[in-house]
Amino acid sequence: MSSPLKSPEGVWWNWGVSRLERTWVGIAFVWCVILFAWMLGWRELGAQNPTGPTTRISPDRYRAEVQAYEKEARKTDDGIVPPGRDIYVGAQQWTWNGLPVVLQAGKEYRLHLSSYDVQHGFGLHREARMIEQFNLQVLPGYEWVVPIDFKHPGVYDVQCNEFCGVGHRTMHGQIIVK
Amino acid sequence: MAIGLLEGSYGPDGFRTCEVTGLKIHRSAEVPAKMFGLTAVVALILGGIAALLVALTRWEAVGLLQPTQFYKYLSLHAWNLLIFWMVFMEVAILYVGGPMVLGRKMPGSKLARLGWTVMVVSAVLIEYAIWTTTYPDQQPLLTSYAPLKSSPLFYLGVNTFILGTVVSALPFFACIWQEKNEHPGRTLPLVSFGAFVTGIIAVEALLGGLITYVPTFLWRIGVVGHIDASWYRQMYWIIGHGSQQINLAAMITVWYFMTHLTAGAEVVSEKVSRGAFILYLFFINLGAAHHLMADPAVSAGWRMWNTSYAMYGAVLASLIHAFAIPAGLEAGRRRRGLGGDSWFGWLKTAPWHDPGFSATALSIILFGFLGGITGVLMGQMQLNTMRHNTLAVPGHFHGTVAVGTTLAFMGLVYYVVRLLFRKEWVLDRLARLQPYLYGIAMSIAAMAMMEAGIVYGVPRRDPITTSIPGTSFSFSAASPMLEVLGIAASVAVLAGAIFVLVTVASLLFGEEAEARVPVPLAIERSDRSVHGFSMRGTLAMGLFFLVVFALFYGMDWMWLSRLWTFGT
Repeated sequence: MSSPLKSPEGVWWNWGVSRLERTWVGIAFVWCVILFAWMLGWRELGAQNPTGPTTRISPDRYRAEVQAYEKEARKTDDGIVPPGRDIYVGAQQWTWNGLPVVLQAGKEYRLHLSSYDVQHGFGLHREARMIEQFNLQVLPGYEWVVPIDFKHPGVYDVQCNEFCGVGHRTMHGQIIVK
Repeated sequence: MAIGLLEGSYGPDGFRTCEVTGLKIHRSAEVPAKMFGLTAVVALILGGIAALLVALTRWEAVGLLQPTQFYKYLSLHAWNLLIFWMVFMEVAILYVGGPMVLGRKMPGSKLARLGWTVMVVSAVLIEYAIWTTTYPDQQPLLTSYAPLKSSPLFYLGVNTFILGTVVSALPFFACIWQEKNEHPGRTLPLVSFGAFVTGIIAVEALLGGLITYVPTFLWRIGVVGHIDASWYRQMYWIIGHGSQQINLAAMITVWYFMTHLTAGAEVVSEKVSRGAFILYLFFINLGAAHHLMADPAVSAGWRMWNTSYAMYGAVLASLIHAFAIPAGLEAGRRRRGLGGDSWFGWLKTAPWHDPGFSATALSIILFGFLGGITGVLMGQMQLNTMRHNTLAVPGHFHGTVAVGTTLAFMGLVYYVVRLLFRKEWVLDRLARLQPYLYGIAMSIAAMAMMEAGIVYGVPRRDPITTSIPGTSFSFSAASPMLEVLGIAASVAVLAGAIFVLVTVASLLFGEEAEARVPVPLAIERSDRSVHGFSMRGTLAMGLFFLVVFALFYGMDWMWLSRLWTFGT
């Protein structure tokens, strides 16, 4: 017990620690273990994880992949219908290729994300709902495949959530789940 | 005038003794500390003006600036407040915590002047680069995420600013080196130890900054052909988040210093408090991973290990300080017989009218509830996906660096005016009010941002979200929150202006400060060991904090579990 402005004298390491402070450190430690264990547990057992395989890919090759996919997809008034379970989204200043897309509720898709130019943010928000959104970073040079399964039909709006130049705010798209 | 302000009256050996703290202060440390402190306040003014323009734009009913202007002022706001105000203050804190607390001359004070000059020139260069940015260059904001290109001068300025900061820190390290050489068996006082840990964390962050910005500058001027976006993000956040950890460690050092100086706090356990600083030293910089939680190129294991500071080593440290500092206040005041024997008498009778104390106390409380809790929530890999890149992120860091660090530094500057410049406060009624006005208004602004981000999903870095060209979709449901943000942020800027007014007016017109020792420090302490005095009030408050923490934690996971299914 001492002033924070003076050197503590003697062997301060052996000074006792009060019971209340020891109690607090114990509680804090247990809380930290809970925080860590819960995060790891959710990774194993939870249904929402920002994870999936990533491969390096040049922006040009990714653009070609998206174009091949769009050619194969069926066009409807609401948007394109993917031929299989793979859906491709290509980000560029300031538009989303591959959107709008029409999906089925309760079916698992593989969402492919990458950028042709700079960094973008894939912000997805369920229309007219609160606290229903998620955000994934989209980087040029990396193709990220995130499995996704919409439980509920509805309109899901896509908004670029990473500053990508002055036209950033006009970069939007839609996922329609039926 | 300016030269006169930097001078003081010293004995023939260059020392003077501070009548209030009893510290032996040498001219070689005091003059540079004043220079850095004054420069920080200039940055605070510039950043505050930009803050007002940014807030009045995000209050979309006002919608002051068009996007091009908005991004310019957002960049100026970020660099002036998050970097220049903080870093200049932190170098001053190193000079206080090193040579002044140790009662030593500062070796190499010419280096301090050189470092200051390089930092000021670099800061001006960065401001100029932001001011003159034209298409196809884009504004850097804080992060200058490659491969989006900004002005080459910007990257150059960042590199030289980092170098200048390293040079400025050298005299501090030399001072610690000399102290340990002369007195190898003597322990550093806790405040010096905290400053030392802050200095080491700072050097780590600054080296990371050079690793990032030298190649990025070379890429921008065409010497290097390609820059990898994921490499840039991982390297950038060494300094991007690391610099915020400097703010944290410096702020906690200031908390120990100011609670002692203004209200008679003591260190209840040297071992525990120093242990917590050591935990910061080892683990805090892993927190850079917080920004990569929604990134494609780093594995889940890497993300979870690093974002948790290796199993929450640094959160444990913060929780320890969160107890140790109020406990020091409680035991120190009980030991001096202040506030009676009740649970919270020691707190009620604390000098709440003293802006040095009220700014510090509000900083501790608000940082914990607003910045600390949200920081841990956002730092969990899965919860992060709901907040990443939304307005909830600026909400979080205004809860850390604005109501936390900035408020603590304001409290410190009030005392720098009294103890280093030796001027009485003028307008002291305004000074009494200022920490409350700033703390409350900025808290409301931060909470409005958090709510707009988490509840409505409003993106950050976007001046117009209530009408988006080409779609009927918009975030207009969040308009009331944006209005609260605009009003509260404007009041906070006003409170910042009051702070500048009081300190500058005191420097110019204040009477010479009398050597008044704050009441708590003047009271004889009882001889009983600090453990003879209860800390039950602190434990009760700590448990209340943990309950709130756990409630928010549970609520966030509940919301996440209601989302669509995603991930492997």
